[in-house]
Amino acid sequence: MPQVDQSRQSRFEETVATYGTALERLARAYEADPETRRDLLQEILIALWQSFEGFDNRCSLRTWVYRVAHNTAARHVSRRLRMRKHFFVELEDVPELADGTEGEDAAVHRDALGKLYELIQQLKTLDRQVMLAYLEGMDAAETAEITGLSARNVAVKIHRIKQILARRVQSGTVQNGGAR
Amino acid sequence: MSVEQVQASAGKFQRKIQWRNAREYVAAFAVVVFFGYEFTRAADSLARVGFSLIIAGMCHMVWQLHSKGSWRPLPKDAGLSSCIEFKRRELERQRDLLSHVWSWYLGPLIPGLAVLIVDFSLAMQGHVKHAGLLVAAYALFVAGIFIGIAKLNSYAARTLQRQIDELDEAGR
Repeated sequence: MPQVDQSRQSRFEETVATYGTALERLARAYEADPETRRDLLQEILIALWQSFEGFDNRCSLRTWVYRVAHNTAARHVSRRLRMRKHFFVELEDVPELADGTEGEDAAVHRDALGKLYELIQQLKTLDRQVMLAYLEGMDAAETAEITGLSARNVAVKIHRIKQILARRVQSGTVQNGGAR
Repeated sequence: MSVEQVQASAGKFQRKIQWRNAREYVAAFAVVVFFGYEFTRAADSLARVGFSLIIAGMCHMVWQLHSKGSWRPLPKDAGLSSCIEFKRRELERQRDLLSHVWSWYLGPLIPGLAVLIVDFSLAMQGHVKHAGLLVAAYALFVAGIFIGIAKLNSYAARTLQRQIDELDEAGR
């Protein structure tokens, strides 16, 4: 096995220990199929490992990890899109979509968290990234740094997300804030 | 996942990417084989020139697709780019490929096709009635297909440009 840079190795181990679970949630937000999701998570970890060669503290480790993870996952979505036609929705269209697709039988059998992820998986990439950041407890500034959205746009989207989640909590679709 | 596991997976992943790219070239390779076979069967040297030009055009096209459009691993500095910057670069790459379709995809095939049409026309002279009209109709048909492909690609490039504009707006 080739000689491994110690700082790169320890950074990777720190990342897996600190963000491993969050990365699993991120992969779940991008990919519904469990098997493909495992591949995506593996792809993210490989991308992180390779990217740490160029990590030079110009941003925090957390920002770096989320940027690499989101960029890898967004590419995964683009690849999947090329294989099959799929349409994503804006945050603004979520209530109509949710109201229209909630069959009573389905509602009985799906758990609240699963429904939340199902909702996230249908969002456009940027909306999905903001929602994930919000659910992971990031503030607006950090979300803007990772996504590249303006602070104003992040604030607008977070406001919208809060409305959606509040509505879902009221209707019993999401309990205890989902993944947060 | 341990460091050892990720290193082993990275190698496998790289091979998977190479295989995925290779599959994209199989169709082009089949076309080259077909025209290579036609080259060996060609009755005159003008036809052989035409088939050679088409094969050269296909090789140029595949090379351009490989260097500009093939799927590649995430760049090592992906952590320095925000999601919008990264997505924008990806979309720009695809848009440029689609909007320059004449220079790398359709254009290189035109000399070979033109030579073959001339050869076809010469071969029909004196054997078929209205040979000129038939050749002109065939040439128009080919031109129509090319223009159609170019228009479809141009439409797709404009769609990508709209997505880029939306990203720019979101970042402001």
